[in-house]
Amino acid sequence: MMEMGDWWRRGKWRIMVMLTMLHIVGILIFTRGFLLTRTELPYYSNCSDVSESPCFTGQSNPYQNQSNSRCWTRPAVDRLVIIVLDALRFDFVAPSTFFKEPKPWMDKLQVLQKLASTKRSARIFKAIADPPTTSLQRLKGLTTGGLPTFIDVGNSFGAPAILEDNLIHQVDNGCIEHLLPSLYEEDWDVLIAHFLGVDHAGHILGVDSVPMIEKLEQYNEILDKVIEVLDNQSGPGGLHENTFLLVMGDHGQTINGDHGGGSAEEVETSVFAMSFKKPPPTMPSEFDTSSCEMDLDQKKTCISSFQQLDFAATVSALLGVPFPFGRCRPAVICCGQASDAGYLLFSIGRVSPELYTLGAGTWNLENNIEGNCPNQKEEEWMQNYCNVLCINSWQVKRYIDIYSASSVIGFSSEDLLHISDMYAQAEENWSCSSESLLLFKDESCYSSLPLKRKIDAYFKFLLNVAELARSKWTEFDLKMMGIGFVIILISLPIYFLAMMTKSVNGFSSLLFGDSEIFVKLVFALFMVVIRACSFLSNSYILEEGKVASFLLATTAMFKLRNSIKREKMLVEVAVHWASESDVLSSMLMLQGIGRNFIPRIIYAVGLGQLLLLAFSPLFHKDRDLESKMHLLIKTLAMLSSCSSTIIVLSGKQGPLVALVTITGGYCIMRLGNIDRGSTDKVAGILTFDPLSVTQWSLLATCLFFVTGHWCAFDGLRYGAAFIGYDEFVLVRQAILLMIDTFGFSHIIPVFGLPFLVARQKLLGHTDQDGRLLLLQLSQMYLMYGLITAASVIATILCVIIQRRHLMVWGLFAPKFVFDVVGLILTDILICLAWFYYVGRREDGTQLTTLDHRD
Amino acid sequence: MVKASTTENPSQSVSPMQTFFIHLICGVGLAVGLWVAHNFYSISLISNPSRTLRLIWVTMCPLVILFYSCFRKNPEKCSYLKAVIRGVLALPIGALVNALGAIALGAPVGIQYFPKTVNWSLLMSLFTFVPAASVFGSSWEDWRRIFAHTKPNASVDYMICLPAHGAVIGAWFGAWPMPLDWERPWQEWPICVSYGAMAGYLITMVLSFVLVLPRGRQQHPKAD
Repeated sequence: MMEMGDWWRRGKWRIMVMLTMLHIVGILIFTRGFLLTRTELPYYSNCSDVSESPCFTGQSNPYQNQSNSRCWTRPAVDRLVIIVLDALRFDFVAPSTFFKEPKPWMDKLQVLQKLASTKRSARIFKAIADPPTTSLQRLKGLTTGGLPTFIDVGNSFGAPAILEDNLIHQVDNGCIEHLLPSLYEEDWDVLIAHFLGVDHAGHILGVDSVPMIEKLEQYNEILDKVIEVLDNQSGPGGLHENTFLLVMGDHGQTINGDHGGGSAEEVETSVFAMSFKKPPPTMPSEFDTSSCEMDLDQKKTCISSFQQLDFAATVSALLGVPFPFGRCRPAVICCGQASDAGYLLFSIGRVSPELYTLGAGTWNLENNIEGNCPNQKEEEWMQNYCNVLCINSWQVKRYIDIYSASSVIGFSSEDLLHISDMYAQAEENWSCSSESLLLFKDESCYSSLPLKRKIDAYFKFLLNVAELARSKWTEFDLKMMGIGFVIILISLPIYFLAMMTKSVNGFSSLLFGDSEIFVKLVFALFMVVIRACSFLSNSYILEEGKVASFLLATTAMFKLRNSIKREKMLVEVAVHWASESDVLSSMLMLQGIGRNFIPRIIYAVGLGQLLLLAFSPLFHKDRDLESKMHLLIKTLAMLSSCSSTIIVLSGKQGPLVALVTITGGYCIMRLGNIDRGSTDKVAGILTFDPLSVTQWSLLATCLFFVTGHWCAFDGLRYGAAFIGYDEFVLVRQAILLMIDTFGFSHIIPVFGLPFLVARQKLLGHTDQDGRLLLLQLSQMYLMYGLITAASVIATILCVIIQRRHLMVWGLFAPKFVFDVVGLILTDILICLAWFYYVGRREDGTQLTTLDHRD
Repeated sequence: MVKASTTENPSQSVSPMQTFFIHLICGVGLAVGLWVAHNFYSISLISNPSRTLRLIWVTMCPLVILFYSCFRKNPEKCSYLKAVIRGVLALPIGALVNALGAIALGAPVGIQYFPKTVNWSLLMSLFTFVPAASVFGSSWEDWRRIFAHTKPNASVDYMICLPAHGAVIGAWFGAWPMPLDWERPWQEWPICVSYGAMAGYLITMVLSFVLVLPRGRQQHPKAD
């Protein structure tokens, strides 16, 4: 018993630290398997690189003599106009005849449909994006030709906050203003206009709404004008003689206007491509995968589809810049989000044959080779295309090599070998350069057969790489996730053990002795389990605040019932629950903007107070720290120093929430007190009320949602980071944001927990009571940590189960991130609070009296 | 002999047959309310919750008050009329308590929800408060015994205690599907909560009858 007590006394803080470590390690391992990160390579493609490729063997690069920016392939188009319509659903563009039933939002972009059906140089594509379908991700994916990963989503969180204030109709005004004049200017090669209106209309009102249709009609007009301008200038020698127009969406959206997930509605977007040069001949049919339907005017419209992954490579090939874009002169006009299209990285995409064909320049129209081959043009095109693919494949191979050499989580060696094999296979046949092809020019025509075989081999290689990359970058590492989960799971029994350490025989007394506490413990566990199970459903996660409030009210009623049982009429019926859930939801207003220096003074005072409190034990070692009053005072001091900063950060609702916190805390305390009254000094292991701690933790959860946060990155209140400061310093603003986000829900509850103990028995002043108090406090902290850890484990389990869920990136992953950060923060805070409240007193020799008492 | 039994158990003794009869009446009242709403007004709980709930409680109200008042405690001191008046008074008070509880648990507040909440809480009051008020009046001890300790002794205690708890617990579970995104009309407040309450009420009425049955057999030879 003595050794046990010894270990217990000495080891307690070590247990806390150990648990923290355990959680951190487990979470890191789990995160590694779940949130996939892709190392970005700090390399850029250069013109000179291409000479290393095998594609120009035996001859110098024929294009190297041309201007610097055009080098890898023969430029097929001179200028490129890209109009990105955010959240452009596939059925916005495609004729309604492609779908089962026409919907009001279909056939609104008739300009595109008409051109696609009448001109051979225009065509509609269905582009399939890779989830997650958020704009920044997609823009990045579009321009780099890579696959998105979750971490990037975090980068886009600033954008919605900026744009929210704009009205749907104002969003695009900047774009419209600048787009048309820019078309007449000469100083750009690529022009990108990004329209956000459709996305906004979708988010705010849904797809099936009048503003959405109006927006589409407006776009129809704009596109009509743009095409007219381009068409007028497309004559020989004109500004847009060889211009290529792309109207595209970066992702789709659901009927409700949401996007981010992986449903067909969200990933399917469309691309309209049109070349203003002479219409090209039809492409070799074997590469044509399009499906054709009659449109409303009974004209044939063909739609082909391609992976959005291939977009970057194709566009680079068309422009003749290193894959993907090297440095051309981009003119990015508008809107909201900065596109850094100028400097981008490697791609694993494949040059899409259909899109590539449309570029008129890919056809060697100037060369009039005399001959009687009927499909000589086609042959030439294929040769050209083969060449492009050769460079494309070489570049992909190089990317894979560099990536696996530099990245920690690379590809497995088997996969790499497989890829190398395939690349070698594709290479070995023969080069597609004209020289080697001349060997086959026995007759007057080229033989197209080897060319086709070669193109097929390249296709095979590129598709395999894309598949592999998709599996690596968008699939989960279950082994890692499992290990992480088990590590975190281990912490649960440790909590139990730590709480039970005091006496082993206490366990039996828990089960058979005091039925009162047992019932409460079961009820508390029941609540925690319900909450844990609720994470399985996305709807419950969305309404998590309400669920927590529901459970909190239930526990409050349960305790109220218990207290009536004890013949103690309660005056302070839990009125605050009502005020909490309803008044505050209407209070989410703009926060007050104070002068900068006032908040700063408050920060400074708060920090000063904290430091003072932290060091005060050093100066008052001799003081008798045993009394409860002292604990109470300490708690109060701690809270007052923390809360001022938090309240300031919370803005206008801060004081109100603080009031609610106090009321809530007081009610829980009173309920616990009344309950305790009769069961004075419960012998056994649980010296505290498990239900009170559960309530405390539920209250903390409620506070998180009441203060206007929710588990999403756009739920962060960025405004709070700038209270007191105007300029942005990453670390400082991050700390402020952190305090704002977790202040009410983590910092205050953890430091306020001693209230539950301190108020309980103000009568006892004996030494023994002091010890009991400390024991209670430590057990309470352990219980609190246990509840937090249990709910996080439930979240993790649900994330594992739901990893293929539609909402995994939209809902489960942010919830996971928030919970995990919350858990680590709680652990650290519990450690700190432990040191602060208990730390100093447990290494004294005085505590042996307690063990003797045992 | 009869006098001795009344001092022991001040409320009128209830035979299992009477329990069955009362529960049957209450159940039939509920069913009639729904039936009238469906056939005469062609509304249902889903299409017009507040009117349907009103119809149900209006049908059930006289039945519950009049029949439970028959089993009032201390029938010598307390007249039948007094018991009825107690029941009538308890209706709005119980409704207020129920409504407050529902709002604390997250029921929506607002003008458009007001009639629904009022009608729902009146119905809940009929399930929970009114029978107890008719039988026990303002006897705090009995109330505490029934609702806080859940220790029913006599048959009439079972008749009050179990259905009331059943209705509340049923309503509590009935709220669970509300946040789900199935987008069904019955997920609105207070439709599924009412369904849960009714289901809990009906199930526990059967349960209370089953529990009263052996007690009646024990008491019967004693009374003889």
